[in-house]
Amino acid sequence: MKRLAGGDPEILITEGDFDLGRVVCKLTTPEMGGVVCFLGTVRDDGIVKMELEVFLEVAQAELAAICREAMENFRLISISVVHRYGILKPGDNIVGICVGAGHRGEAFRGCEYIIDQLKQRVPIWKKEIRGDGSFWVEGEKRIEK
Amino acid sequence: MIVRVRAFARFRELLGSDMEIEIPAGATVSDVLRKACSWSEEACEAVFDSTGEVRSHVILMRNGTRMDRKEAGSTSAADGDEIVVFPPVSGG
Repeated sequence: MKRLAGGDPEILITEGDFDLGRVVCKLTTPEMGGVVCFLGTVRDDGIVKMELEVFLEVAQAELAAICREAMENFRLISISVVHRYGILKPGDNIVGICVGAGHRGEAFRGCEYIIDQLKQRVPIWKKEIRGDGSFWVEGEKRIEK
Repeated sequence: MIVRVRAFARFRELLGSDMEIEIPAGATVSDVLRKACSWSEEACEAVFDSTGEVRSHVILMRNGTRMDRKEAGSTSAADGDEIVVFPPVSGG
C-alpha cells in the first residue's frame, strides 16, 4: 500500500543488503511528479573485497541533517537513504538514495546534493583489499597500509 | 582526570578503537592525543606533524561536536570528555 503523503526522511545504516525497487515503492506517493534514485556499488576494478566502517551515531545524525537541507533546498516530498557497512564484494550495493519531488529537476538536484554531501560529511570509510595490498580511502586519496 | 578517546578507520588501526587516558588537570586535547599515541611512533606521525601540530587532514570531535584541529593545543580537556579522531571520510 502506498502512502498518500511524504514524510520525514528514512535513513538506514545497515550491514544487510537492500532492494532499491522496494525502497522506491515505499517512498512513492501520488503527488510526486518524479522519483530519482542513485545506487552506489563496489566497482570491480581489482578489488577482492571492501570493508566499510561507520561511526554510527554521528553518521545517522549527519545524514539526517543532509536530508533536512535537501528537503528545504529542493522542495523534495520524500527521501530514503540506505548505506551499508561491513564486508562487501565487487558488485555489491553500497548506498541507495531515492528522492521524490513534484518535478524531475528538483528530484535530480536533490539526489545529487545528498550523495555529494554524504561523501564529504558522513563518517563512513572504505578500505579496499586488493591482491597487492590493502588501502584506506581518505577523501580522494588512497593510503597504503 | 580520565578522558575517553575513540578512533576510526586508519586511526583505529594505529591507536586502538576506544581507550581511557589518564591525564593531569590542565592538559589540552593535544596532550590527550599525544598520550593516546605514545606507544606507537607510527600513530604519533599519523596524527601530528613535525612541528607538533595536529595534521591538517585529521578530524577531531570533542563531546559530539567537531573542533578545529588548530585549537587542540590550546583547548583544555575536562574529566569525562570524549575525544574522537578520524581521517577524511569516504562513504558513498
